[in-house]
Amino acid sequence: MTSDSSSSPSSSDTEFADPNPSTDPGTNSERVQSQLESMNLSEPSEVSDGSHTDYGGGDDDDDAPAEVALSNANEGGFTNGRVVREDLAETSGEEGREASLRAEHPVEMEAGEEPPSPTSSGYDGERGSSGGATSTYKADDASEDEIREANGDGDTASQHEAAWLPGKRHVHEDDASISWRKRKKHFFILSNSGKPIYSRYGDEHKLAGFSATLQAIISFVENGGDRVNLVKAGKHQVVFLVKGPIYLVCISCTDETYDYLRGQLDLLYGQMILILTKSIDRCFEKNAKFDMSPLLGGTDAVFSSLVHSFSWNPATFLHAYTCLPIQYALRQAAGTILQEVCASGVLFSLLMCRHKVISLAGAQKASLHPDDLLLLSNFVMSSESFRTSESFSPICLPRYNPQAFLHAYVHFFDDDTYVMLLTTRSEAFYHLKDCRIRIEAVLLKSNILSMVQRSIAEGGMRVEDLPIDRRLRQKASSTNNQGQDTGGPDRLRDISVGTGGPFGLWHFIYRSIYLDQYISSEFSLPVTSHRQQKSLYRAYQKLYASMHDKGLGPHKTQYRRDENYTLLCWVTPDFELYAAFDPLADKAMAIKMCNQVCQRVKDLENEVFLQGASPFSW
Amino acid sequence: MYVWCVADRNSGTLSGLNSSENAVPADAKNLRVKLVLLGDSGVGKSCIVLRFVRGQFDATSKVTVGASFLSQTIALQDSTTVKFEIWDTAGQERYSALAPLYYRGAGVAVIVYDITSPESFKKAQYWVKELQKHGSPDIVMALVGNKADLHEKREVQTEDGMELAEKNGMFFIETSAKTADNINQLFEEIGKRLPRPAPSS
Ligand SMILES: Nc1nc2c(ncn2[C@@H]2O[C@H](COP(=O)(O)OP(=O)(O)OP(=O)(O)O)[C@@H](O)[C@H]2O)c(=O)[nH]1
Ligand SMILES: [Mg+2]
Repeated sequence: MTSDSSSSPSSSDTEFADPNPSTDPGTNSERVQSQLESMNLSEPSEVSDGSHTDYGGGDDDDDAPAEVALSNANEGGFTNGRVVREDLAETSGEEGREASLRAEHPVEMEAGEEPPSPTSSGYDGERGSSGGATSTYKADDASEDEIREANGDGDTASQHEAAWLPGKRHVHEDDASISWRKRKKHFFILSNSGKPIYSRYGDEHKLAGFSATLQAIISFVENGGDRVNLVKAGKHQVVFLVKGPIYLVCISCTDETYDYLRGQLDLLYGQMILILTKSIDRCFEKNAKFDMSPLLGGTDAVFSSLVHSFSWNPATFLHAYTCLPIQYALRQAAGTILQEVCASGVLFSLLMCRHKVISLAGAQKASLHPDDLLLLSNFVMSSESFRTSESFSPICLPRYNPQAFLHAYVHFFDDDTYVMLLTTRSEAFYHLKDCRIRIEAVLLKSNILSMVQRSIAEGGMRVEDLPIDRRLRQKASSTNNQGQDTGGPDRLRDISVGTGGPFGLWHFIYRSIYLDQYISSEFSLPVTSHRQQKSLYRAYQKLYASMHDKGLGPHKTQYRRDENYTLLCWVTPDFELYAAFDPLADKAMAIKMCNQVCQRVKDLENEVFLQGASPFSW
Repeated sequence: MYVWCVADRNSGTLSGLNSSENAVPADAKNLRVKLVLLGDSGVGKSCIVLRFVRGQFDATSKVTVGASFLSQTIALQDSTTVKFEIWDTAGQERYSALAPLYYRGAGVAVIVYDITSPESFKKAQYWVKELQKHGSPDIVMALVGNKADLHEKREVQTEDGMELAEKNGMFFIETSAKTADNINQLFEEIGKRLPRPAPSS
């Protein structure tokens, strides 16, 4: 059934690949609009959702229709009067803007951003993995398909897949399911011939027709010599990212910024490159209709965990990493052994606790991008098999060198703490195993593993712990009491205003530019529910986007107030501070508080940041 | 000294994963051997290994990434011990090009299929061919039909497995990682078939 669907992309092609594409943007967008309508997404359905099925995760409510109203309420504070619903003329204007932005940067932009690989010729991966893999993939492709079809639905392997891959949800949905259409945020990866590669919801193979439609939109615009980046239709944003033969699409009504959604697609692409390398492009050169999805077999959990992290992990929009708070001496001890290990011919050694860094080291001149670190830890954390025993696996760091595999030795010391040793040498396993034994000896001797557990239990910085001037606190709490009389926003009304830190400080994120690291305070009252936390992150994302808008200089502050928060952002060449306060917080106090936070972070910098050893500062 | 010989023979051109720095060389009473498991994704390779090494079965066991390394020592009836250094490889298609990295220099290859899946049996045939072409010439090969507990769903007959094994000079056994049926037997039989090193030189 899957291979049958390959005919639909080509028929759509003929329908939309106009030999004389109109240059009139109006016509252009009408075609796009009709495509969107055929996707049933131009009118978001707001009918009360009887069919909404419970989702497994429970903690990720992108797909909860009930949130629609909330996120719209949030919007008020941020859009500054921008009309949310844009008609098509505006849409094409948007397109035009994006397209011209794009033109300023040649097509090679992505490649240019990446540091040239210092040792690209030295990779075993290029010979053994990338090159060899490419031809094998292709050769086996046809027979795989046949076997699959013959086996049909009774295929035990795929039954197991559903059972042992917690990542994939709603596999039985397709674009005809009402529940599928109501998901708030879809991600798709497809090939430029319209073959589905990945879909966040539903079975990729059942979405072949839908993929063909997306492909038709992209190629229609491309045939006109343009590039489609964003289409707005009602509440929906459709964001496109073209990476050679691979198309990535996000359809969202989550009220996130275009830049962030595009950044999410970039990370999704990076995750795919981490698993397969960019040499996958060659398969498409040889066979335009190449079916890539079998090559991502068993990785649904990796992608769904990444998508989930877009709503909880600030690293996904800050492009910085975070450390587990731990005593300076312990971090130093770990760093020293990791550096020794790197001196013995290991490219990167990382000691991690979940997605947080305990310490890391790199070989001389080797630099690890925070995004690579994010994708790497997401991959390891979401692939359960790493926890059963020590493993040796090819992985590619997209920012380091997207073309070649590295080889990663992964070992979990306990449920949370693990070491990753990365090398270019495919036969280095026993050496890496020895390195791990040496590292483990140091960890045992200095008792780091139990200190890590303690740090997890204690959590990171808390706004409640910030030292404050008593007199000022009194004044501040009287302000807050006032606030309670006038009434807070509905969703916070039941929680006493003014809890959290001093002067209504609820939360902050401090990002050190020089270190490429950030520290985020623990969530405290009243930002306790997952929904509130997610909404706060979305507010930060917008703040981040607006602060990083082009054409604005350094040394900036921004102060925003809406019914949910007072947000304060302060950007200097050294750091960025994002802080959320009670919506009724006093502005002068809030500014004072921000200074206090910065001071506090500086006081604790040896415990909360990895100092010196950072290979990112190259 | 079996393992050493194999490693030496290959050390020139092929760089597999061989522990050249193995501290204790094997002797006639204490064998050690590198064993690789190959087979389609989902046939139960990891379950077989975890059953053998840890005595556990986890029905929700997770798809292997790259390859996992485990070791286990057993005592045979003639009081020799065999230390298995086991490479449990990932059956996912994208890793198949990497397989040589794991089977090079291996003294034992265990090729696993799922008796309920003819597709996985086809894949087993592919691995047999591949190893005959590229494996060590004196490699001990075993063919394993796993998930024998699912007999009511059986689609690959025992005779077919036996025939494939016989044709290729392999040892054949049907196992169940779930019930532990034949798991220890599999490794004991392999141990018995290992070439014994010549008396110490
Ligand atoms: N009934 C039954 N199920 C089994 C048996 N062995 C494994 N399974 C199931 O088969 C599934 C896959 O087993 P794995 O051991 O992970 O398969 P694998 O061959 O290692 O797969 P890859 O790592 O992807 O190559 C698991 O969910 C097990 O529950 C068995 O003997 N009987
Ligand atoms: Mg496995």
